[in-house]
Amino acid sequence: MNRTAAPTAVIADDERLMRQQIVMRLKEAWPELVIVGEATNGLEAVSLVRAQQPDIAFLDIRMPEMDGIQAARALGGQCHVVFVTAYDQYAVTAFEQGAIDYVLKPADPERLKRTCERLKERLDSKPDSSMDTLLEQLTQRLGSTAGAAVAKPREYLRWIQASVGNALRMIPTSDILFFRAEDKYTRVQTEDFEALIRKPIKELVDELDPEEFWQIHRAILVRVDAIEQVTRDFRGQQHVHMRGFDGGLEVSRSYNHLFKQM
Amino acid sequence: MSSEYQADKAGRKEERDAFKARIRDGLERKIERATKGDEVADTFQQLERLLVRIWWQFFDWLAVVPWGRLAIVSLLVMIATGVVSDRAAGPVVFLILMSFVIKIVAGGKVSADKVAAEATAKAETEQLERNVLEARLEALQAQIEPHFLFNTLASIDQLIQMDPPRASQMQQSLIRYLRSAMPKMREGRRPTLGQQVDLSSAYLEIMQVRMEERLQRSVNVPDGLRSAAFPSMMLQTLVENSIKHGLEPKSDGGQLAIAAEIRDGRLEVSVTDTGMGFAPKGVGGCGLANIRERLKVLYGKRAELIISVPASGGTRALIRVPYEVILDEPEPADLAPVSQTKTEPTINLDKPETV
Repeated sequence: MNRTAAPTAVIADDERLMRQQIVMRLKEAWPELVIVGEATNGLEAVSLVRAQQPDIAFLDIRMPEMDGIQAARALGGQCHVVFVTAYDQYAVTAFEQGAIDYVLKPADPERLKRTCERLKERLDSKPDSSMDTLLEQLTQRLGSTAGAAVAKPREYLRWIQASVGNALRMIPTSDILFFRAEDKYTRVQTEDFEALIRKPIKELVDELDPEEFWQIHRAILVRVDAIEQVTRDFRGQQHVHMRGFDGGLEVSRSYNHLFKQM
Repeated sequence: MSSEYQADKAGRKEERDAFKARIRDGLERKIERATKGDEVADTFQQLERLLVRIWWQFFDWLAVVPWGRLAIVSLLVMIATGVVSDRAAGPVVFLILMSFVIKIVAGGKVSADKVAAEATAKAETEQLERNVLEARLEALQAQIEPHFLFNTLASIDQLIQMDPPRASQMQQSLIRYLRSAMPKMREGRRPTLGQQVDLSSAYLEIMQVRMEERLQRSVNVPDGLRSAAFPSMMLQTLVENSIKHGLEPKSDGGQLAIAAEIRDGRLEVSVTDTGMGFAPKGVGGCGLANIRERLKVLYGKRAELIISVPASGGTRALIRVPYEVILDEPEPADLAPVSQTKTEPTINLDKPETV
C-alpha cells in the first residue's frame, strides 16, 4: 500500500452522540487521521467503506440492519477494523492481542492512544488474514442475534400469527392446546378461544419444536405438556384428552406407539 | 399463798395449753378436711373436663363421619351391648338415636366448618407459595440491561463536554429510572400504574436523547388511572422490547405509544410501536413469557397479555388486569373519570382472589 497520503477512517454507530464522541477523541489521540465518512448502520458502513476505501473502520457492534461483526465479515479484510462497544457482551476483549482491536465506550484516551499506535504499525501491512476466523468465532458468540449465516441451533416457531375477531394476534405456542386440519384451514385451539390459520399441518410439523408438539394423526398436532390423559375405547382406538378442553382427539394407528405403556 | 398462787398459775397454764392444743387439733382437722374436699372437687373437675373433651371429640367425629360408617359402628355397639347386658340396651339405643339426630342437626355445619378451615389453611399456603414465586419472577423481570446502562453513561459522558445542561438532565432521568427499577430500592407497597408510567417515561426520555428523531414517543395515561394497581416492571418490559426489537433495529426508527384505559371494568395498558414487527421464531419472547407467568400467579384467569399486529405494522402489546385502586395513594380521588367511580375498589389489596 502507498502510505504517502494521510491515514483515513470511517465511523459507524447508530447514535449520533457516540459518533461525535469517537470523532472527538480520535482527533486528540491521532490528529493526522482523517475521518472520511460516518455511517448509521452496518449496511451503510459496508457501502461507505467500499466507496471511500479508508484504512480503518470503527464499527459499533449493535447497529440496525447489520451489526458490526457482520459488517466486518462483509468487508472481508478491505480495511482494518476496530470494534466500539459500550458493554462487552460479545467478549471482544478476548481478541485483544489478535488482528481485531476494540474500544470500550466512552473511549478512555490512554486506551484509545494505544489502539491508535497499534493501528499505525499495521497500516503498511494488509489487514490480517486471521481476522476471518476470529470474526467467525465472534459471530458464534453472538448467538441469538439475527441474521448470521453460521450454523445455529434450529429456531422453531414460538408464536402463531392468527386472526382472532378482527385483530391479528400473536399467540404463544405455549398457549395452544392443539392444531387440527379443517377443510382449507388449520384450527388453532387454546383454552380460551379458537382461531383459523392458512398454514397446513404438514408445514407446522416442520416448523414447530418436535419436543413441544406431537403429531397424533395426519390432521392433528397436540402440545405434549397440555395432554391430560390418553384413553382407549372398546375398539382399541386411542383418544387424547387435552387439559381445559372437552372431548377427545383421535390417535391414528400409525401414531399409537407414542402412547405405549412404560 | 405464793405456792397456792404458783399451783394455780401452773394449773391455768396447763388448762390454757390444753385448750390451745384442742384448738390447734380442730383447726388442723378442719384444714385437713377442707383439703381433702378440694382434692375431691379437683378430681371431679378434671373428670368433668375430660368428659367434656371426650364429648366434643365424639361430637366432631359424629359430625364428619360418613353415614355408612356411623351405621356400622352403631350396629357393632348394639351387638356388643347385647352380649354384655340386656339392661344397658335401652340407653344405648337411645344414645345411638341421639347420635343420628345430632348428626342430622349439626353435622352439616361442623363438617362445613372443618372443610372451610382446611381450605383456608391450604389457601394460605398457596398464597405464600404464590408470593414467593411472584417475588422470584419479579426479580427476574427487574434486571437492568447492562447495554442500556453503559450506552447511557457513555452518552452522558459525551454530553458533559458538548451540552452540560442536557447532560445533567439525562443524568436526572437515569437516576429516576434506576431508583424505580432497582429491585431492592422498590418500596414494599403495591405498585401503581402512575409509578410504572413514570419509570418508563424516564427510560424513554433517555432513549430520546440517544435515538433523537428516530424515536417519537407519546404517553396517553389519564391522571385518574395513575392510582390504579399495576404490577411492577411489566410496562417497562414491553417498552424495552419495543425499543430493542422494534425501533432500535430499524434505521428510520418510528413511534412508540403508551396508553391506558378502562374497558369493561378492566384496566388495559398497551404499548404500540411502528417498528420491525414481531418475529414468530426465536427467543425474544422471554420477557413476555415472564409477564404471562406473573399475571397467572397474581390474577389467575382474570388477567392476560395479548400481542397483536396493528394494521399499520409494528407490534402492539396489551396487558389487561382487574381494575383496582390503591387507596392510600396521595393523589386526589376527584380526578378519577366517571368509569372509575362505577367500579368497586377492592380493599383487600394484597391478596388476589384464589381461583
